[in-house]
Amino acid sequence: MAITLRLAWRNLWRNPRRTWFTASAIAFITVLLIFIITLQMGAFDMMLDTSLRVFTGQMQIQREGYLDKPQMRVTVARAQNLAGSLRRATGLPGIAVRANGFALAASGTRSYGVPVVGVEPAHESAVSTIPRLIRQGRYLANDTAQELVVGAVLARNLKIKVGDELTLLGAGMDGSVAATVLPVVGLFESGSPELDRHLVEMPLQTFQEVFSMGQEAHALVISGPSLERMAATQVLVRQHMPQDPALVLLDWEKLLPGVKQVMQADIIEHWFLYIVLILVVTFSILNTFLMSVLERTREFGIMLALGATPLGIGRLVLLESTLLTLLGLAIGIVLGGGIALYFNYYGFTFKGMQELYSQFGFAGVITPKITFVNVMTGPAVIFAFTVAAALYPAWRIRRLRIVEAMHAVH
Amino acid sequence: MSLLFWGTATAAPPEDAAAIVKRAIDYWRDVSSYSVIDMTIHRPDWERTMTIRIWTRGQKESLVRVVAPPKDAGNATLLLDNDMWSFTPKINRVIKIPSSMMNQSWMGSDFSNNDLAKADDLIEQYTHKLLRTGTHDGRKVYVIDSTPKETAPVVWGHEVIAIRDDWLILEHAFYDQQNVLVKKLVTSDIRPMGGKLVAARERMQKLDKPGEWTEVVTREVRFNIPIAAGTFTLSNLRNPRE
Amino acid sequence: MNRLPLLIRMAWRNLWRHPPRTLLILFAFVLGVWSIVVLAAYGRGALEQQIERSIDNLTAHVQIHATGYRDDPVIDHRLPPPGPALRTALAQADVTAWAARVRVPAVVASERESAGIVLVGIEPARERGLSFIAEAVHAGRYLDADDDPGLLLGRKLAERLETGLGRRVVVMSQDANNQIADRGFRVVGIFDGSPEAMETGYVFIGRATAQQMLKLGDSVSELAVLASSRDRLDGLVMRLRAASPESDVQPWTTLEPLLVLAEELSGTILTIWYLIVFTAMSFGLVNTLLMAVFERIREFGLFQALGMPPRLILGMVLAESVILLALALTVGNLLAGATLLSLKGGIDLSAFAEGLEMFGFSPIIYPMITAADFVTANVLVFVLGVVACLYPAWRAARYAPVQAITRI
Repeated sequence: MAITLRLAWRNLWRNPRRTWFTASAIAFITVLLIFIITLQMGAFDMMLDTSLRVFTGQMQIQREGYLDKPQMRVTVARAQNLAGSLRRATGLPGIAVRANGFALAASGTRSYGVPVVGVEPAHESAVSTIPRLIRQGRYLANDTAQELVVGAVLARNLKIKVGDELTLLGAGMDGSVAATVLPVVGLFESGSPELDRHLVEMPLQTFQEVFSMGQEAHALVISGPSLERMAATQVLVRQHMPQDPALVLLDWEKLLPGVKQVMQADIIEHWFLYIVLILVVTFSILNTFLMSVLERTREFGIMLALGATPLGIGRLVLLESTLLTLLGLAIGIVLGGGIALYFNYYGFTFKGMQELYSQFGFAGVITPKITFVNVMTGPAVIFAFTVAAALYPAWRIRRLRIVEAMHAVH
Repeated sequence: MSLLFWGTATAAPPEDAAAIVKRAIDYWRDVSSYSVIDMTIHRPDWERTMTIRIWTRGQKESLVRVVAPPKDAGNATLLLDNDMWSFTPKINRVIKIPSSMMNQSWMGSDFSNNDLAKADDLIEQYTHKLLRTGTHDGRKVYVIDSTPKETAPVVWGHEVIAIRDDWLILEHAFYDQQNVLVKKLVTSDIRPMGGKLVAARERMQKLDKPGEWTEVVTREVRFNIPIAAGTFTLSNLRNPRE
Repeated sequence: MNRLPLLIRMAWRNLWRHPPRTLLILFAFVLGVWSIVVLAAYGRGALEQQIERSIDNLTAHVQIHATGYRDDPVIDHRLPPPGPALRTALAQADVTAWAARVRVPAVVASERESAGIVLVGIEPARERGLSFIAEAVHAGRYLDADDDPGLLLGRKLAERLETGLGRRVVVMSQDANNQIADRGFRVVGIFDGSPEAMETGYVFIGRATAQQMLKLGDSVSELAVLASSRDRLDGLVMRLRAASPESDVQPWTTLEPLLVLAEELSGTILTIWYLIVFTAMSFGLVNTLLMAVFERIREFGLFQALGMPPRLILGMVLAESVILLALALTVGNLLAGATLLSLKGGIDLSAFAEGLEMFGFSPIIYPMITAADFVTANVLVFVLGVVACLYPAWRAARYAPVQAITRI
């Protein structure tokens, strides 16, 4: 084996230019695939992360049934205590309690029915970007502050500004009238048109008082340290969550159905491109492989005459192709990985992208996501294709006849 | 006034369904009325009762004011034709209910804002047909099918109303447009109050939620009383005079 | 120049000295050209569909509103019906359709549910061909007249409201006097829309019916204008502004700035894609030609020794690559054409429909090839291909005769 290997390696360098050319073709496609795949996965993560960070969180604990039919009475009891013990038990800082209500928001001239959310100002910023996306004024001060923040578009539609009072009129959990007039201390621009147009946030305990909710709330919003560690976070939370069958832990796929499908469709669309590219390169390479066999017909004839089996020669040729592919892949992985690392450090963006993304509240700078799978999937597929291509020349050798081969005029 | 109605009632052919419905509505609302009711909202896991005072004049003016429990006392609703205003003492504000909120529940009950605002719809927006007659406590009962007119702002397919020949509404059933019964108002406890017979208990029940209902018990009622000028105004809504 | 036919003949013969090799590189190139053209058509089709759908989804090419409506689309901001000046401006040849609309926020309710929507009063005859709505009615009928008493409901909204064709719903809104306006409507048609928000967010009734219900008199919320082309709308916009100076006249590029950005971005992405595929192809091309050149070095040396000038050798090798490229482009384009023809019915991505529609993409993409994309792809491949072949050709011409002949 060692001898065959050395032989194959030496054969490769009988035509260094051709070898380098072929290896560069493989390296090129490898670099490209590594770069695009890590970039695409990075883009998904960025979009997902950004969308989850705005408001939804990576996961939520709710009472069973609340997701399907969000009725006010379907609550999580003593939610703040539960959140506190979960924070201590899991060590996760990103756990925040929310209570959701619906109210008629009325300014002097306008009124709209809007969702009102009670939040813990101290913890909300760990699960939502809204506290940091205050365009005017400031965020809510503490759990009992008598104040509101509202979406910038809603404020514009209501014709109110920071400092103005907003009247909220709805129904409390016990069916009593929930009404309050609170000053608006801040306007947020989350980048999500839906939230900016509708949402009103108020401190949790103020909310519980206005909506007669006692100590209850509707959701514990949880965001782990990063998207990569989401699965681990989920396990951690599940371990420490009270063993109450009425409480469910819902991940983002349940909270935001549809997002996953968009990603899958995008991945499939991209793989169509990748496969086309790989095929183009594979056929170019197949040419090299084939020629290196054809021009050595005499040589193979002599080898056969000296007692080598067609199978052995075929194996040698296959080994040569494999070595060549591996050489290209190695160069490609090093270069591609390097480029991905570079952009991983500095971020990737181009003109127009930032404008487009910022409309959806995204940063517009993508960080390629470097994982073993993301880096190696491309090379693995290329390897499979090129080795499959190399089978053809190797197979041709089996048809060689000693005499004909030796007489072959090259 | 009520004497006049009795008089016309005997003169008109009783099989005129529209007239029967109009009589029943007129009997219920009278020229004007003042009543005190207990409204109980029942859910599987909780129940609450509110005491409410109601003034009405004709079919287009009503004022509703909560007197108990203390938490909700003072909350009031003014209805003028289709428009609706709400007053909440907690915030000392009058808010006009926009059209987008008209389908929301009124005070957490099984009545929507629309149910309150559309008291007169039954006369103007429906065509009525006498289905059959029956008896109740020895009195004749007209069972009338009321179908909303094409452009009526009513979502129901049709409603079936049982009206006794003394113009008391015994039952009011709401069917969807595929003839499935959705909710039903049943009255009971018929006794003289405020000078005439009144069904003192009404229960609104949604058929698909047996554990949820709203019941209204009339504690006190007076009909055809003089109502102070300015009762049905925004300033009275905010600053009650009585 | 008279040597050209000979050159081409020789190049052609040289190409077929190793048929498998030539066929393989040809195949790689055909695949490359095919993918460039097909993907350009796919990308262009997807983008075009997005833009056309948005224009179809009520945006039209130009919209006229009362000042302030775009910022605050409520009943208070309304337009008088178009006067003689505006009508004249709209009657010219570059306007293919226009219609007035009433457009206000409202609530639609069934027996069981209610939903916040935008109520649009349309002129059914004028709206036909202007927006998606006439063609989108898949059950029941479209509206017949401006004062049609019926209502068109989106399929998804009908599901949410648990109602359907032939049933009645109630629409509630504020009228021009800020009083509650409500009315029952029979659902006479169910329409499909994409993105899903079109089905869940809009309800259509007759324009006159809406005006009556909302006590609007003859005023409307918007005029939508469709021009003969969506490009070069400046003249039309200027003319409409002049004819209706108090109103807010805007082209679709202002109304939907994201689409303009997406169009620019996709142009860049397509060009990048061309270059990537080309680079992948060029490795094979240059490698194959280099090999072909090296195995013929003795031959080239002989030619030179026999007095053939180096530039002719260069020309011959280049001719080989030109023939190869021309063949690849022809076959690639033909295959791409056949593929696109067979995909005329659209590429169905409906397995991901829910997610795609949520973000406003259609589950079915109709590829579209534009002359510009086609020419760009072909010229790019051809020119870059010839440039890439300069190196092997130059190598072929560079060998000194003796060096070449003596080389084994």
